[in-house]
Amino acid sequence: MKLKIGNFHVKDIVFGSELSYRDGVLTIDKEKALDFVRQDPHITEAQLHIVKPGDMVRLFPVKEAVEPRIKTNGEPLFPGFSGPVTGAAEGETKALKGCSVLAVGRHWGGFQDGLIDMGGEGAKYTYFSGLINVVLVADTDETFEQKEQQKKNHAVRLAVHKLAEYLAACVKDLTPEDTDEYDFEPVTKRDSGKNGLPSVIYVMQLQSQMEEDGYNDLVYGWDANHMLPTFMNPNEILNGAVVSGSFMPCSSKWSTYDFQNAPVIRRLYEEDGKTLNFLGVVMSNLNVALEQKERSAVFVKELARSLGADAAIVAEEGYGNPDADFVACIAALEDAGVKTVGMTNECTGRDGQSQPLVTLDEKLTAIVSCGNVSELIELPPMPVVLGELESLARDGVSGGWSDDELLGPSVRPDGSIIMENNAMFCGDQVIGWSQKSMIEF
Amino acid sequence: MKKAIMYVNQFFGQIGGEDKADFKPVIRAEQVGPVQPMAAQLHGEITHTVICGDNFMGSNTEEALAFIIGELEKLEFDLFIAGPAFQAGRYGVACGSVCRAVSRRFGVPVVTSMHVENPGVEMFKKDMYIMKGGNSAVKMRGNLADMARLCNKLLDGEPLLGAEAERYFARGIRHQAWTEGNSTAADRAVDMLLKRVRGEAFVTELPIPKLDRVPIATAIHDLSKAKVALVTSGGIVPVENPDKIQSASATRWGRYDISSMDRLESGVFKTIHAGYDPAAADADPNVVVPLDALREYEKEGRIGKLDDHFYTTVGTGTTQGEAQRMAREMVECLKKDGVDAVILTST
Repeated sequence: MKLKIGNFHVKDIVFGSELSYRDGVLTIDKEKALDFVRQDPHITEAQLHIVKPGDMVRLFPVKEAVEPRIKTNGEPLFPGFSGPVTGAAEGETKALKGCSVLAVGRHWGGFQDGLIDMGGEGAKYTYFSGLINVVLVADTDETFEQKEQQKKNHAVRLAVHKLAEYLAACVKDLTPEDTDEYDFEPVTKRDSGKNGLPSVIYVMQLQSQMEEDGYNDLVYGWDANHMLPTFMNPNEILNGAVVSGSFMPCSSKWSTYDFQNAPVIRRLYEEDGKTLNFLGVVMSNLNVALEQKERSAVFVKELARSLGADAAIVAEEGYGNPDADFVACIAALEDAGVKTVGMTNECTGRDGQSQPLVTLDEKLTAIVSCGNVSELIELPPMPVVLGELESLARDGVSGGWSDDELLGPSVRPDGSIIMENNAMFCGDQVIGWSQKSMIEF
Repeated sequence: MKKAIMYVNQFFGQIGGEDKADFKPVIRAEQVGPVQPMAAQLHGEITHTVICGDNFMGSNTEEALAFIIGELEKLEFDLFIAGPAFQAGRYGVACGSVCRAVSRRFGVPVVTSMHVENPGVEMFKKDMYIMKGGNSAVKMRGNLADMARLCNKLLDGEPLLGAEAERYFARGIRHQAWTEGNSTAADRAVDMLLKRVRGEAFVTELPIPKLDRVPIATAIHDLSKAKVALVTSGGIVPVENPDKIQSASATRWGRYDISSMDRLESGVFKTIHAGYDPAAADADPNVVVPLDALREYEKEGRIGKLDDHFYTTVGTGTTQGEAQRMAREMVECLKKDGVDAVILTST
């Protein structure tokens, strides 16, 4: 089962009179692209911008990031979400690398939205400041949730998923500059050399805490809250089967771009057949009820045992309540003799003195830690803001506040901000990008 | 030029040995013993030396600290240094006690140094910088140099690189930082996994503290004869919050008379807890401290008697250490009042 991703390394993005890709330059006909976005009658206002690493631009509220790609066989880029359900494990996909399409609210933010500074000292807090970004700033007719803290952000999220595919259409018939091949061998058809290596599964705990549809991560369009842990070909995750949701303080979230490029999957593929035998992904979730957490932990453990996994990496897309799933899952795997490394962030408080996870277990012996959600971050004003900065203070954004007796409001009249790391767009990068860790001071 | 003051015991303060361990504290406007070589390395001036006998500090701690704090109030200083105490237990505890008192009263950084086996390390490492020191005075030079390096960073306002890099004992304060070499989390995880499966040494990035499990108490056989008290970490207090309990990271608790009440009235009680939406608890404090339900039980004879007081603090951000201390203090009162059982409510 071979997935080929043909890469086009984007050096620059400009607006012009046609949609084209030539010599590393992606040219976008802005009006035509906006016409495409406006085909969805739920989009009531739309602007398109291009921002580059080092630009002194602040984006808020950022709701989603997608890598522009297209499948050469004409199947939808995000099966079950942007089109009908089709398989994603194999085939040929072409990708515009080094760039993303960002969804930014024109006015309204919410609990789950995040901030990106493209330049200055705030740039280091997000992965996306290192990419050239096509920014869709949009408003929608979803008035029912404008004043709600929790937002599904459906129209603008769907818009960037479709826009990403629309933009990549210009490379559909071009020859890629290089190609990544991900060949996932069926687990019973591997040679003895590979079978002799330590067998590893990657357990992804998707964000699924909301009971109502429309907020959680989707797997082939299916709400992760409604699934039981299941075995997946890692190619499916790299190729659009998983779409990011709209719940969880933003620094703990994984964007769709993150799933498309999942760094742990790619590193495990690099090691596959050399130092380990990559058995595949166990896709799990983070439901809130204790029984659901216990059930998922049992499923993960039994899948691992049945597949003959010697070792596992478990990563959680969330903190707080989801820590219980994370700890239970690792403890269950260790009980079954599966040597496990966990990937998480921590919530040690602004003073760094709180218990790092809401529950702890001495069976967690090997943890990679990617950040502190409650770290205070103070940043100077930016000359350009795309979106509406006031939303950080006004709309119940996790990590922002309207007033604080010691710190004042998150957004000051001069445009400088003070916020918790919680509000950095996909900032803790537990998906695997994170160059941050946690240390004792 | 910034100023510092340094504490040493009777031995290093050149008063005498074990026979002088009862020496009462003094403060001198000079650099005595190890204070001189420390001063030579410091980006600041050491104006005074505080000297106290280890036994005196151990047996008359309050008196000694009150004297020292009182003398320091007359002086200006930016940093306080004590020791190094090596493996000397009484000296280590003395350095820790003085440093903690100075830090609490004056808010200046405090630095000491002890050997890992000095009991002062466990007692005080969360409250101050304790450099990882040698086991005896043979290590004096190196220990002073280590202390001076950290002191200079503090005096110069230079950011610290963390406990490991700066060689002080971890204080239980965890912050995010960009790791040396900037390898990604994915690479760190896979490398750690490969080390684990090969049986090689690896270092977790989140050491799990030893958990302090409290065994479940034995059951009460006859609840109808038991005296029951209500304790909460949900922050319910009289509206004026008379004991000034903090809304987060609490170090204070309260005990309030409910002997004449059948329920906690809104407007008389409220929550000051910052970790949850207070609307429901303010409208009806009984949802957090169920006095109304317990009074019913009392009338029905399901419990013997409800205690005349309820106990309260705030759980959010409160450290385990503070929670344990407050609980021990509460337990003293509860025992004195003959309470058989406690219902502990959160939020």
